[in-house]
Amino acid sequence: MLDTVSPPPSSATQPPRKGWLLWPFQTLARRTSQGVAVTFYSLVVLIPLAALFSSAFTHGWGFFWKAATAKEALAAYRLTITCSLLAALTNAVAGLGTAWVLVRDTFRGKAILNALIDLPFALPTVVAGVTFYTLYGPKSPVHLTLTGTWTGITVAIVFVTLPFTVRSVQPVIETMTFNAEAAAATLGASPWRVFRTITLPTLLPAILTGTGLAFARAMGEYGSVVFVSNNLPFRTEVASSYIYSLASAGDPVGAAATAVTMLVMALVVLIAVSVASRRLVKGS
Amino acid sequence: MGRSPRWLRLLVILYVGALIGVPLVFVFQRAFVHGAGALWSALHDSSMDAAIGLTIRVVLVALPVNTIVGVGAALWIVRRPSWVSRLVDRVIDVPLAISPIIIGLMLELAYNQSGWLGRPLAALGLTVLFSYPGIVLACMFVSLPLVTRQLIPLLREIGSHQEQTAASLGAGPVRIFLTITMRSILWATAYGVSLTLARVLGEYGAVLIVSGNITNLTQTLTLNIGANFESYNAYQGFVGAGVLATTSVVILLLLGVARHRERKRHEHLA
Repeated sequence: MLDTVSPPPSSATQPPRKGWLLWPFQTLARRTSQGVAVTFYSLVVLIPLAALFSSAFTHGWGFFWKAATAKEALAAYRLTITCSLLAALTNAVAGLGTAWVLVRDTFRGKAILNALIDLPFALPTVVAGVTFYTLYGPKSPVHLTLTGTWTGITVAIVFVTLPFTVRSVQPVIETMTFNAEAAAATLGASPWRVFRTITLPTLLPAILTGTGLAFARAMGEYGSVVFVSNNLPFRTEVASSYIYSLASAGDPVGAAATAVTMLVMALVVLIAVSVASRRLVKGS
Repeated sequence: MGRSPRWLRLLVILYVGALIGVPLVFVFQRAFVHGAGALWSALHDSSMDAAIGLTIRVVLVALPVNTIVGVGAALWIVRRPSWVSRLVDRVIDVPLAISPIIIGLMLELAYNQSGWLGRPLAALGLTVLFSYPGIVLACMFVSLPLVTRQLIPLLREIGSHQEQTAASLGAGPVRIFLTITMRSILWATAYGVSLTLARVLGEYGAVLIVSGNITNLTQTLTLNIGANFESYNAYQGFVGAGVLATTSVVILLLLGVARHRERKRHEHLA
């Protein structure tokens, strides 16, 4: 397109280009905006992030390791990782099914179903937390008491992370063509075999990405979990809740050490997932 | 072939209905459980109204700032590739993967009286922690990438041919941005802004640490709900929860409209 645009005719009567006088001001504006952006990111993200790492190692590596591997911390990691993994896997399966129905099925009320999927992104976690506590608490109207159990924590996390897999798989199903599936079926493959050998491999990178994001989000979940869990140290206290209790009990160094440990675990998961899904895309 | 079987449809409707539909209906049921009169007076609870006022004042600053920063960051990452912008592109999502509690802790460590930023600011007579600026900061941190990550793939896709054409015809940068760039990214931006609004309204963990949770002063609506619930005033808590659930349904509608319009724009081009 650009080549077809003819340059403006230059003649002696034409005034010089309007912009040249403004040029130093534009450069100044660009420089200023870059400066403002760098300052903004530093004040909001970078310096606080550095402060966390610096605080975690204030008393040296030995103190960090002792705080990060305290018995209560280990119990909290175990609970958090187990429940997050269970929730992420539940949503990997349920999210795939949901995305499939949303793309390949037509029925009345589908638009409402599609909109409801995003509710966990829109609904404040504390609202979900108090609702789950009342719905599945000691005086449960549905006669189902899940508070203070790992199941209850997992259910809360499943709610919060439901959109991740659906929203990462849905666009891929939309762009999939029926051809390969139809060909396999014509050649006599059973629906299950078609799903296993054709559909699933195509969708695997997207499933992996969504599940990884869900898992990372689940590891840090607080508002929706803290009411349901009852917060019993060693038994139903998730990692973020343990970090909060350390911080409010006046142990910022211990809190920072535990936080750094959780942060590194979440980043490792995200990097692993991104590498794995990139490999899968390349491989196919 | 390739259609979805009927049992799967039923299963999905049951799953989403039980997990998402039931709690949503339940919040409203609890808020209305004592009738309209009780709801009306609970809505005029003075500490809840103070919390709503604070939440609105936080949104009024955090939302525009994060929108401008988000659009600017996306343009910078896509249009001015350098090793710095590529690095930023890689780590842009990180705030979404950090626990809100850890974000609160980070801000507390940096901005307390002896912190790297807290000490010089205190010398200037400014306090950030346990006051309004700290709450705004926490809300901006948790929602920082939401606009940018919507725009990056879109800006890559549309390219900059139209902008270059406009520039060669003599349009200034402001005019190019308003008439060309903004027109094509409008609905994707609206989608990101709606997500930002949801996140700012609903932030709990980070604000809990940074604000100090002082009733009538630094208590946002989410904190007010939690505090009412913990002090065995569950009804008042559910009224607050009903207010936020209403806003989240509105946000769902906004997200739906934005997604629909963006798809229309996309189909129109294709």
